[in-house]
Amino acid sequence: MEESEDVPKDFIKLKSEKLCVDEVSELVVSPCCGAVSLFIGTTRNNFEGKKVIHLEYEAYIPMAETEIKKICRDVRQKWPSVKHIAVHHRLGVVPITEASVIIAVSSPHRAESLEAVMYCINTLKASVPIWKKEIYEDEYSWKENKECFWANSEK
Amino acid sequence: QVSVLYFARSAELAGLRCETLSVPQEITTLQLWEEIVKVHPRLALIRDQVILAVRQEYVLLGDQLLVLQPGDEVAIIPPISGG
Repeated sequence: MEESEDVPKDFIKLKSEKLCVDEVSELVVSPCCGAVSLFIGTTRNNFEGKKVIHLEYEAYIPMAETEIKKICRDVRQKWPSVKHIAVHHRLGVVPITEASVIIAVSSPHRAESLEAVMYCINTLKASVPIWKKEIYEDEYSWKENKECFWANSEK
Repeated sequence: QVSVLYFARSAELAGLRCETLSVPQEITTLQLWEEIVKVHPRLALIRDQVILAVRQEYVLLGDQLLVLQPGDEVAIIPPISGG
């Protein structure tokens, strides 16, 4: 029973309900780990002087989950001591200050989990098929991550 | 016959989220894009900023030859903005 409980696991969830930091953090806690590192992406209320009312996210769900699994696999290759990884991303409407994404990684010592969390969010922004629409007062805009290699950054 | 999925800006330009299209079994990625634009000409607006996902693998628009099977999923992928 002890061995099967602490096998390294990836917890990936795309959902439209409000994300919960406690829940994600608890998923990765492990008796052998002295560190849990977290990243929370929250909705800002402004962009280039415009007031953001809320964000809307959509995803190519099966492929997004597969791409996130690939990120987890890469994390484990780069930082073999990483124990559990959790990536929760919200879909649909996300109000200002609420979380759109929470990433949690556990490892025995802090360096690996801190680096792995940064790698996860950076790579997610470059490769996972999720799209964000910023809703302003009079208009909206489909955002483009600068990490996305097929975005046209000169407009 | 493949399933074509539209996301974000491409869904707005095409006016729908998914449909079935008949295309040749062997086709380059660029030719596949052009078949799709024939049905939804407004998609031409995003030609320079789009890639495809065929069977959930990203492919650039170009000379790469695809061998498609009936029921394969082809997704139009505008620039992503997750996280």
